Amino acid sequence: MALAAGLVAPAAPEAAEPLHAVATIGMVGDVVRNVGGERVEVTTLMGEGVDPHLYKTTRTDIARMLQADIVFYNGLMLEGKMTDALVRVAGAGRRVHAVTELLPESFLLEPPEFAGAFDPHVWMDPTAWTRSVEVIRDKLVEADPEGAEAYRAAAEAYAAELQRLDAYAEEVLASVPEERRVLVTAHDAFNYFGRRYGFRVEGIQGLSTDSEAGLRRIEELVDLLVELEIPAVFIESTIPVQTVQALVAGAAARGHEVVIGGSLFSDAMGAPGSYEGTYVGMIDHNVTVIARALGGSTPERGLNGQLAMRE
Amino acid sequence: MPITLASFLQIDLPAMLAALLATVSCGLLGNFLVLRRQSLMGDAISHAVLPGIVLAFLFWGSRATWPMFFGAACAGVLAAVIIELVRRLGRLDSGTAMGVVFSVFFAGGVVLMEQAAAHAVDLDADCVLYGQLEDILWLAPTGLASLLEPAVWADMPREVTTLALTLAVVSAVVLLFYKELKLTSFDPELATTLGFPAGLFNVLLMVLVAAVAVAAFEAVGSILVIAMFICPAAAARLFTDRLGRQIWLSLGFAVVAALGGYLLAASAPLWAGVPSALAASGMIAVVAGALLGVAVLFAPRYGALARAMRLGELAEARERAAAEPLATNLSNR
Repeated sequence: MALAAGLVAPAAPEAAEPLHAVATIGMVGDVVRNVGGERVEVTTLMGEGVDPHLYKTTRTDIARMLQADIVFYNGLMLEGKMTDALVRVAGAGRRVHAVTELLPESFLLEPPEFAGAFDPHVWMDPTAWTRSVEVIRDKLVEADPEGAEAYRAAAEAYAAELQRLDAYAEEVLASVPEERRVLVTAHDAFNYFGRRYGFRVEGIQGLSTDSEAGLRRIEELVDLLVELEIPAVFIESTIPVQTVQALVAGAAARGHEVVIGGSLFSDAMGAPGSYEGTYVGMIDHNVTVIARALGGSTPERGLNGQLAMRE
Repeated sequence: MPITLASFLQIDLPAMLAALLATVSCGLLGNFLVLRRQSLMGDAISHAVLPGIVLAFLFWGSRATWPMFFGAACAGVLAAVIIELVRRLGRLDSGTAMGVVFSVFFAGGVVLMEQAAAHAVDLDADCVLYGQLEDILWLAPTGLASLLEPAVWADMPREVTTLALTLAVVSAVVLLFYKELKLTSFDPELATTLGFPAGLFNVLLMVLVAAVAVAAFEAVGSILVIAMFICPAAAARLFTDRLGRQIWLSLGFAVVAALGGYLLAASAPLWAGVPSALAASGMIAVVAGALLGVAVLFAPRYGALARAMRLGELAEARERAAAEPLATNLSNR
């Protein structure tokens, strides 16, 4: 009914209503904001420090999705149970798109034992994420053909920025001595990162944040840290710090000093409005923190000189 | 965000229906669980489903809802039956039996997951099995007129139809075996002497509980189910000694909790000024808990207040009796 009324009422041509877009996670929302520019108004459902695996949908989120012109989500089960609601909204003929599920499967990592269960943390590799920029651009053009040119231009500019980010990451991470290119983090969110930049990635918890770390796993990782003399391990903004501290203590007991190299943004970006609250800032932060803690050389405040670098 | 008729039909109505069906199913069976001191069955089953989920995943290699649901249901029923066996054969009290069985099942699930390398895959019950009221959407209706079209009803969310079916089966079984369930709940020895196989009915009840629990987990999540097996029946128990009345009262409480809790959660942005609605199933469980609290304090005969007053009266009467001079007593003779 509301839709019909909207069609009948003539909209003022000069002050066109922006396209209302909803994104589930910040990384998707930021791309939509960059590609959409002024023509698109973006609402992001999950904010800073929120773990999307365990996020519970609220009625407000659902109402926002139903009122939106277009909805973007990550997909590959990242959004846990919210996926059900998203699929339902999509089934009712609305514009709902999973940005990663439209990527070619060759871009996706899947745990070797289980075909079809893909790793959802695609944004960790800027070159893979560029593909989702293309997906978002195409879907915005479909929804709002009048803005096609603006979207294409913005997507191109943004893709160039991601390319610059990727080049920076490659350069900075290459400065880490080869034998130290091991990233030990709280959960398995960095596999795409590892593939792109040649890092061995070890997570204490599995892909999901809910499974507890086994003692054996902790022991294995302590062995690895001692053996390869890895100087730092990392915590994540969405995960409790205790399990990583167990690693530090375990290595100390074996006479090898490991520090917590810093907090990485894995499943959510930093505070809205800050540089780390953008996708580029988030990756810049991760790359710079990792490279510095493992002995690489980095610019003081990252790619754009905007990192806060608070510990 | 204004609540329009269309948004009510699409978002609130299916969620409220699912909440109602789930709370009433759980509340109904909860009556028998409370009598048998097995109220924590819901909690036990919420843990016991894990190995079923892992095995279903290993077998089908998919996290789709149906295999997960099937695996969970099998594990739940199996756990319920084993709890009953442990209780009878080991002569343990039901709390101990539940504790032993569900922790072993849960641990088994964790070990399976590690051994089968399924830890590489996101397999939390939270993500793959437990549903949420908010995710139950019925997008077909657009207004009151559309409710007359059969196609719109055919699009009713799967969770709601599953729960309706579950409730129908549970009510039918309870109606059919009401006498037997009542007798075996109150006095299993007497029931056996009278020729009713108490063990069989226990197993029947446990199977029903497991089926309802898993169906409800899948639709509305675990916390609501655990609360609803306990609160309405326990609250109703404080008001009456008659099982029939207790059941009707508990169903009434379940309805009040479901609708009241849902509306409170949905209208939270309006009255509390928080930016978004609260989790409905959590709020329903809170309302159910509040109802129980009120019952514990104010129930006419078994409530704390009533008891305190009775104790006070008793003490007063004693004092009066003690204070009366012996002479009066004697002279009254």
